Amino acid sequence: MKLFSGKPLRLPRLRPYVPKKDDPAIFWFNQDRDDVVREVAKRVAEAHTSDRHRMELALNEVAFNESERLSKQRDDEAKESLGYWRGILRRVGRMTDADKRRTIENICTRMAGDVAGNFDPRVYAMAENLVPRLITAAMSPAQLPQEIMTPHTALKGLLSIEGPLDKLRHLSRKGALVFVPTHSSNLDSVVLGYALQRAKLPPVVYGAGKNLFTNPIISFFMHNLGAYRVDRRVKSVLYKQILKTYSTVMIERGYHSLFFPGGTRSRSNLVETKIKLGLAGTGVEAFSRNQANGTPRPVFFIPTTINYALCLEAETLIEDHLKEQGKARYIIDDDEFSRVDKWVAFFRKLTALESASIIRFGEPIDPFGNDVDDDGRSLTPRGDVVDPGTYVTRRGEASVDTVRDQAYTRGLGEVLVERFHAETVIMSTQLVAHILFRRLVRATPGADLFVRVRHRGDVSMPRDELVREVSDARDALLKLQEEGRVRVSPVLLTEPAEHIVERALAAFKGYHDRIAALDVGAEITAEDPTLLLYYQNRLVHYAEAIADEPNREAAQEIARMGRDR
Amino acid sequence: MNPPVGIVGAGAFGQGLARAASRAGRDVIIYSRAGQTVDAPRVTVTGDYADVAEAELVFFAVPSTYMREVADEMGAHLDGSHLAVHVSRGLVGDELETLTHVIRSTTPVRRVGALAGPLSAEDLAEDRPSGGIVGTRFPEVADAVRGAIGGPKLRIYSTKDVVGVEVASAMVGLLALSAGFGQGLGLGPSTLAIMGTRGLAEAARVGAALAADYRTFNGLAGVGDLMSALTGDGRPELLLGRALGSGMSLEDAAKEAGANIEGAALAARATHFAKCRGFEVPIAAAVRDVLSGECSAKDALGKLMTRRVGVE
Repeated sequence: MKLFSGKPLRLPRLRPYVPKKDDPAIFWFNQDRDDVVREVAKRVAEAHTSDRHRMELALNEVAFNESERLSKQRDDEAKESLGYWRGILRRVGRMTDADKRRTIENICTRMAGDVAGNFDPRVYAMAENLVPRLITAAMSPAQLPQEIMTPHTALKGLLSIEGPLDKLRHLSRKGALVFVPTHSSNLDSVVLGYALQRAKLPPVVYGAGKNLFTNPIISFFMHNLGAYRVDRRVKSVLYKQILKTYSTVMIERGYHSLFFPGGTRSRSNLVETKIKLGLAGTGVEAFSRNQANGTPRPVFFIPTTINYALCLEAETLIEDHLKEQGKARYIIDDDEFSRVDKWVAFFRKLTALESASIIRFGEPIDPFGNDVDDDGRSLTPRGDVVDPGTYVTRRGEASVDTVRDQAYTRGLGEVLVERFHAETVIMSTQLVAHILFRRLVRATPGADLFVRVRHRGDVSMPRDELVREVSDARDALLKLQEEGRVRVSPVLLTEPAEHIVERALAAFKGYHDRIAALDVGAEITAEDPTLLLYYQNRLVHYAEAIADEPNREAAQEIARMGRDR
Repeated sequence: MNPPVGIVGAGAFGQGLARAASRAGRDVIIYSRAGQTVDAPRVTVTGDYADVAEAELVFFAVPSTYMREVADEMGAHLDGSHLAVHVSRGLVGDELETLTHVIRSTTPVRRVGALAGPLSAEDLAEDRPSGGIVGTRFPEVADAVRGAIGGPKLRIYSTKDVVGVEVASAMVGLLALSAGFGQGLGLGPSTLAIMGTRGLAEAARVGAALAADYRTFNGLAGVGDLMSALTGDGRPELLLGRALGSGMSLEDAAKEAGANIEGAALAARATHFAKCRGFEVPIAAAVRDVLSGECSAKDALGKLMTRRVGVE
């Protein structure tokens, strides 16, 4: 049986890297890998082999789903494996219980082996130097010689990293970090990986779409940097449990992780308000298991926002959102990796904008939504220390309880959503788009969204009015920032409103195929309401709080759009 | 050995809970600020929150307006192993924040729930057959409530729709007020039935805006509670409504009803909330208008009756 084709490329084992004492746990992963695979397979198999009925159900389900998928796929994988799955379907009724058990165990072992990643410290060291150069080469080849001499300089201006970095570095030695970022672009995982490196935070384990592994170069890096393979096409329950269990086991063993809790890129650019609980739940379960096994180890969730002044895929994403085709996709996709022209245009534009993207790491929280202090101790809302172990303990006994842990995960999801709002960094392009879009809403009261986005170029705003409203809204945002309800970019913080408007209009020009807002001297026209909608959606949550009286009703309508999604 | 049951607040409901738990054979520690006494076996009254923390399950039986303050003080003695359930009919602030959210955000307790439904303080105190519903995402919380007060005469159902239970309970308080009001005006059963039914639809709209399941409003927390309010005579909301309907001032009417009534304050906030979210709550709005003196009871009723009629 072969579940997936394509052997991962590895470096020869001539000079194996001997991990140092201070290296993050992932540096030892290769020694641990077989054990992880065994543990994952064992747990999932055990859950399905408790009685005959469950075994039959599991086998029928996986064999049926895989046969269906492969018979449509008709590729090498299908040639190799279709017969195996069809064979199971034919034989399952005649199998003895021992046969069934063995077959399930085999399937789980193969699946777990296929999912499991690899980590090669030598590749990590290579990537550390190579990635910034590659990105620099893509965006401004002229700077490449300088980048080769002193890596990272060109990127520094493009990407700023904010947050309690010292604390996070310290906590990374105390427990497992789970980064949970907002997701708006395919660039996110690359940018975040780079940001972790630059902030001297340890590398993380994350699930990456199997299609990323088809490109041998990307596959080489992915495979040797701890990413695990997720094949979205495989629908069977066993496979999904293997993925979740893999994540649980990794967090349990102290490997730092990353997943996008929105599950997919935000099509609308609205900050995530619905959290996919499955993967977040693995962090909670890992905590409970360690606690119940008597080997307590803290798990820290780090709500992270990735904020772009411009988004590479804005047009496609918002169109997709409007068509309501934003089907849930699993974690990371590569469907726009091919558009080299877009990438180049994007990076060119970014070089012109200072701090064009801001990664903001929020304050870490424990699996129950409590803040933690600098030493990783959980804190109550009053600031007293509370033992997180008490949450999974009843009458003195710690336990793993799926229903309870799911309830905790939902509560955690709600806290993450609150944190995402508080840690979102508003960029100049988003604010200017919001003011223009708000004017469009004001001009078309009660109209539905689809009517509004057809008003291309129909609504304009005198430049001085735009500047004044941007200025007022900025001041309101600064007040919200003081209250800890949102963040604003350095440009919004320091520049006069006139410059903010100019910068945003310049950024909109010449990057997207369509222009979001047109500068016609004294008037600014809302040229493409769809793009304006996309950028302004980042402000929906604050729309009412930053509106003055004449804009109150328009702001309420905008806020409603965010809720009715 | 079962741990004691904790209760914060020794008003009518708190005392009823204490008696029910005592009947179930449980030790009870009840916090009373005013130093009330509770005449039942195994019940200890205390003026110190720290004593209540000996319990595993803590009931919060205080009006919603004091919930944050009380939860903050009680919370100083609690940790993640505690379970907390409130019995208040209230939603706080302009965003209609639920009280389980208040508890979660001011204390370290995460395993929370809301107890609601037809069951009244008198049912609990006098051991009359009754029932209620506990909204919680944690099965151990529902089990703990059943273990603390459940028994042959008290059926405690449960649902995961915590927000639904809390919104239904608060809105039924408001509807009972408006029904009492109608009775004060001398309206007949069919008028009251229309007010009640359409009122529940209104409540479900508020619930839906807060991500509740509308079906919860058809259960014990909604229909069940409203029927109990309308067929009974003792609900303070009903008494307040009646006093208002008969022409008393709000102040005098509140004295007459003799309890802290959350429905009155909720009318204005629910109306404001609905307006911001773009839907209508005509009955809550009518109650608000009458309470604020903006229009007379008769005019308010007239306005309700002449609204455009639509599809149900």
